This record gives sequence, structure tokens and C-alpha cells, in this order.
Amino acid sequence: MTGSLLTPSLVGLCRSLTEILLGIVKALFDALSLPGVGSWFVSPGVVVFFTYLIACLVMVIWAMLINLLTMLWVERKLYSRIQDRYGIMLSFPWPWSKRYKRGITNMGWGFLQNVADGVKLLQKENMTPATADKLLFHAAPALLVSSTVMVFAVFPFSENFYYAKVSLGVLFILAALSIGPFSIILAGYSANNKYTLIGGLRAAAMMLSYEIPMILCVIAVVVLNGTLDPFEMVAIQERPLMGTILPSWNVFSPPQMLGFVIFFIAIVAELERIPFDIPEADAELVEGWTTEYSGMRFGFLYGFKWLRQFAASGLLVVLFLGGWNGPIIATPELLGYPIPILPQEFWLLIKIYVVAMIITWISWSIPRVRADQVLKIGWSRLIPLALLTILGAAVFKTMGWF
Amino acid sequence: MVLTIDWELVLFLVFSVVEVACAILTVTSKRLVRAAFWLFLTLVTISGIYILLRAEFVALIQILVYAGAVPVLLLFGIMLTRRKMLEEGETPEAK
Repeated sequence: MTGSLLTPSLVGLCRSLTEILLGIVKALFDALSLPGVGSWFVSPGVVVFFTYLIACLVMVIWAMLINLLTMLWVERKLYSRIQDRYGIMLSFPWPWSKRYKRGITNMGWGFLQNVADGVKLLQKENMTPATADKLLFHAAPALLVSSTVMVFAVFPFSENFYYAKVSLGVLFILAALSIGPFSIILAGYSANNKYTLIGGLRAAAMMLSYEIPMILCVIAVVVLNGTLDPFEMVAIQERPLMGTILPSWNVFSPPQMLGFVIFFIAIVAELERIPFDIPEADAELVEGWTTEYSGMRFGFLYGFKWLRQFAASGLLVVLFLGGWNGPIIATPELLGYPIPILPQEFWLLIKIYVVAMIITWISWSIPRVRADQVLKIGWSRLIPLALLTILGAAVFKTMGWF
Repeated sequence: MVLTIDWELVLFLVFSVVEVACAILTVTSKRLVRAAFWLFLTLVTISGIYILLRAEFVALIQILVYAGAVPVLLLFGIMLTRRKMLEEGETPEAK
């Protein structure tokens, strides 16, 4: 219905950029009368290498610098508003604004507060406990960060905004997210501290019991749509719903409504947000499995939870909420030309941030459940319901009802 | 002379060397958690070899199922073994 902002594609754009940059480099070497070096720079292999390098850089900056900071900012502002206070307000003011002239720098939107916190964490000392298992203690943050960034290798932001088009994209995202629990248990165990050990074991027990319903719900969607490719999945959800102008998102199918709820609960638990935050219950275990970390390692372990939240909300949106489709099929036309209401990237980001804000809203308004209750919800409620979802999806697929 | 490198062969050699080394470390490591870490690396490199064999589905299932099951193994390992085994060496309490 609406076009993508990025045409032709991320890699295509980066290719033209690379060709321009390498052309400049070649001109420089030609001016230095070194034509051999110059022509090496524009040979196909070098161009392809730099193209993918630049595309990778763009994706990492987009995901980690822009979306992670925005996610943190939305979270902090929203929970402050829920608690009836302003929240973070430190900001870099416009030099020509009235507030800046009066010397007020603490009345802004506070977007740069997270940057300031990151700089503070970078300056802090990286302490390693004397009794820790050094190798695993240092490997755990790297494993968590790299497995989370791996998601964005295949994550589609629109028809054209992706790094790699993989036909098994959903499976790849699930596989990348499933490495997280292992690094958490490593982090909890290697610090050799009572609190981190309990936190790590709780995290492992909880994530094991919530990964199963999550994957079962994905199986139900795969049964219904018949594909593991996120692009095809979104294309299937674009058709009209029973002749109306509404799109037939998977969440409108009766078995998938249940699946949507289960998947949502499972990702809240996977992210260790508050109703299920027993691994880092601050009142019981100082800071859970992150207790012994300091400096930027703590920043990685703590801050990347929000990038995982972004990735998991994105998966939820692609699976159930129609990906980058708008909520209306029809495109308004002016003099025969279609007017795009919003580009596809904007729809996807709006949906992801709405889902993330609902997660924040839930997690700052209800209390924590007990450890045994968490496992009971996971094993004896969610898994049978997820199996029921698969059964329902199979019946609906066989009868061709949806 | 044009020097061509078979990058798939290079990758295969790197993966297989890492895999064999990690497999040996898995069975010789005395600390349980380290053994689990080496086992995890072994399984991930096996999935890399699957990708070289053009079996992407098997590779992803390898990570999802096998590497994802290492925490289960670790959990049972920790529950069913003595803690003394894990702390030997550097810790002052164990001496």
C-alpha cells in the first residue's frame, strides 16, 4: 500500500556510496601517479567488501546508536510519567533558545541523558572480582552483545531496509535470541558470588521455561502462513480481511489471538521485565546476575536489554501485527497518483515502539510474581495453551477459514 | 601468477580446527562451567560447517536446539555435582 523510504535497498544505496568514495580515492592515487593502486581500489572484490562493510556500519549505528538510545529514553520518560514526575531532563540546549541564554540546561527533553550515562560508564573502572573465572567473566558480555546485534543482520525494517535477505529469517532471529540465556548463566556463574549465582540460575530456569511457548507460538504462525521468511510473512498479512479495507494481520485469526497473548507474555519474561524479573529482583538479589560487573561491561549487560526488547518487539510485530503494513489497505489517490500515508519504516517503528511502551507500562504498574509462580505459569499454563494454538492453527489452515 | 584463495576451504579449516580444539577442551576441562562453554563453542562451529555445506536450516536448528540446550545441561550439571569441583584453584575458600 505504501512504499518504502529506502529505494532500491540498503546494500544498493551503500554500493553507490562506496563507488563514489572509491572513485575519489582512485582520483587521488591517479593524481599521485600511482594508477595501479587506484585501479585496485575500484576492482569488483574491493568494492563489494567496502559495500558490505558500510552497510554493516549503517545497520549497527541505526540499531545501536539510534534505536537503543531512543528505546532507553522512551522507557525512562514513560515510567517517570507513570510515577508522576518529569524524569530525565538534562539536555544540550539550542544556543539561541531563551532557556540557554538564562543558563538553564536541565529543563529539556533529556534525550542526551543516556549518552551522558554511557560516557560515565566508559570512564569507570572495570573491576574483575579476584575469585572470578576470568575467561568466562569477560566472555559473557561479549556473547550477549554479539548475539543481540546478530539479530539485526536479518531483521527487516521494510521491503528494502535490511542487511541480508535470508529465507529463514524468523528462525535466525530466534536462534540469535536463544544464545542470550547461555551468556546470562555464564555471567551469573563466573562471578563466583552468591547473588549472581542465584540470579543466573533463576534466569536460566525462567528462560528455558518461556522459550518453549515462544517457539511454539512461532510454529503456529508458520503453520498458518506456510513460510519462515519474514518478507513473505508480511506479504501474506497484506491481503484484505474478508473483503474489508482492513489487512488480515495474523492477530485477527482466532487461534493467533491466543498465540499473540502467549508470545507477548513470553517475550516479557525473556526480557526479564518486572512481572517476571526474578533473576534480578533488586530487593532480594542486589542486582541479580549483573551484580559483579562494573563500568562499560555493566552498561552492555544492562543497556542491551533494551536492544533485545527492540528485537523481540520487532519479531512480535512481524509475526502478528503485519510488519510494515499500515492498518488500512486502501491507498488514497490524488489525480491518479497514490499518496503514501507513511513510509513502511515509520509504520514498523511506530508499532515496535507502541509494543515496547505497553511492555514498559505493564512492568512499571504491577508487582513481581514469585519464583515458583513464574515457573508454574510457564510450564503448566503457557505451554498447554501454546499447543492448543498450534492445533487451532492447523485446523484453520486445513479448513481454509483464514 | 594469479593467486586465488578458496575462502570456503579456509573457513572450513578454521571452523574444524576450532571445533576439534574446543571438543578436546570440553572433555579435558576440570571446571564444569568452562566445559559447558567449550561445548557451546563446539556446537556453534558445527553449525558454521553446516552453513558451508549449504544446509542453513540444519545450521539454525543446531544453534536453536543444541546450543540452546547447553544451559539445561549446565543447570543439571550444577545441581547434581559438588560445588567444590568448580571453585578449585584460584579461590581462597577452597584452599
